[in-house]
Amino acid sequence: MIKLLKCEYMKTRRRHVFVTALIITAVMLVWIFPRNHSADLLRLGWMANLYELPLINAIFMPLLSIIVSSRLCDIEHKGIMLKQLAVTTERGKIYDAKLIYGLAIMLFCTVLSWAATIAFGYYKGFSGDVPIKLYLLYLLFTAVPTLAVYIFQHTLSLCFKNQTVTFFAGVIGTFSGVFSLFLPQFPWLRKSLIWGYYGALQFVGLFDWTTEDRYKLAHFDVMGTDWTSFAIIAAACVIMYILGRMWFKRKEL
Amino acid sequence: MQEIVKTNGLTKRYKNTLSVSNLNMSVNEGRIYGFLGPNGAGKTTTLKMLLSLVRPTAGEIDIMGKRLNSKTRTELLRDIGSLVESPSYYGHLTGEENLRILQTLLDVPKQNIDKVLEIVRLDRQRSKKVSAYSLGMKQRLGLAEALLSFPKLLILDEPTNGLDPSGIQEMRELIKFLPKQYGMTVIVSSHLLSEIDQMAEDVGIIANGKMMYQGALDRLHEIDTNKSLEEIFLDLTGKEMSL
Repeated sequence: MIKLLKCEYMKTRRRHVFVTALIITAVMLVWIFPRNHSADLLRLGWMANLYELPLINAIFMPLLSIIVSSRLCDIEHKGIMLKQLAVTTERGKIYDAKLIYGLAIMLFCTVLSWAATIAFGYYKGFSGDVPIKLYLLYLLFTAVPTLAVYIFQHTLSLCFKNQTVTFFAGVIGTFSGVFSLFLPQFPWLRKSLIWGYYGALQFVGLFDWTTEDRYKLAHFDVMGTDWTSFAIIAAACVIMYILGRMWFKRKEL
Repeated sequence: MQEIVKTNGLTKRYKNTLSVSNLNMSVNEGRIYGFLGPNGAGKTTTLKMLLSLVRPTAGEIDIMGKRLNSKTRTELLRDIGSLVESPSYYGHLTGEENLRILQTLLDVPKQNIDKVLEIVRLDRQRSKKVSAYSLGMKQRLGLAEALLSFPKLLILDEPTNGLDPSGIQEMRELIKFLPKQYGMTVIVSSHLLSEIDQMAEDVGIIANGKMMYQGALDRLHEIDTNKSLEEIFLDLTGKEMSL
């Protein structure tokens, strides 16, 4: 596997996949950070982040997945390399190596944005200490839906020559996921889409917020952790991986 | 002479189309086997089945005396080099970088890269991006990839496609040189009779997925001494083809 991962690195030379991923992460951070924080919001800053970030992640992480997976897999289709690779090594290993390489980039960006969020909180002067346990839980609840979305995109990108198919499937999924977050009265909707789990796993709620007082009397509280949803999305990762790998192995080249 | 490839009742069906039908192929070791047939006859599908890129609907494949299946696949493919349909490459990388990736995967000595680049006469263009290569150069890179592990069996599917006359001549000389120099067995497919006539020692003629003739090329001439090779071929395939 190390050999295959080394090859993945060699293949992506001059493709700027990592730089592209960093740029998208930077855009996401630029969207989150530069805004005026009122004194009330600074008081609630740490928890406010945990409340707001799942929505931002629901938009950016799937888009990042589309771009990373597509750029990594497109090089195989463009030069008709899958045929050559398939007679050189096991197909399952090709699927795994590409997946691990892409996921490493995704995980790096996820951790980077997570660390930047905390650093920004200190920079802005959010009250109190960072609730590290909640932030670690948030990291886990961001990473696992991202894993699911990435496995989905990876499989499509590898199995379809035409990356437009992959792109549209991903974009439709992303919009559906974001849309589901705005319909809290239909919790089943977000739980039926892998893209909706950024919201389904949101564990911080905003209470007593009014248009007049805004954050004056408002407070954020932990609503409880939905481990059932976590188990579902984790199981979806395993199922998608098994099916995706099988699909790729059986595909005629 | 030992058979390096043997198929028994090899069949491939795509929905309602029978692409390869009950094909019994026999390739002897150390020979150049020309696999001849009109376009759409089932040559590429057959070669893809030999490489496990396509699953047969029925039939068996024995390579180097071993049955090709999911267990033996990886081991057998290590001894096979291939260039099927069109050359495979990463356009954004140089010729040498392309070969470096395959050399890493195949776990063969680095020196093989220099050797194969020299054989296919691409050593001067090794540092050039493949996207800037001409079609002939890409085809030669494809051949270099196939040769990288100096395999026992080389499968080349229409390797002269798209090449100019001098490129065709060069590729032909390269293919003829391989069995003599490295003891390889070469299966080369083409729809051009003249092409096979100049390269192959044995020939398999396929039409509509069926093997119409198989044996030494010399014996094909003997089928009907009053007819030219082209006429014999047309009789066998029952189709018009480019000669």
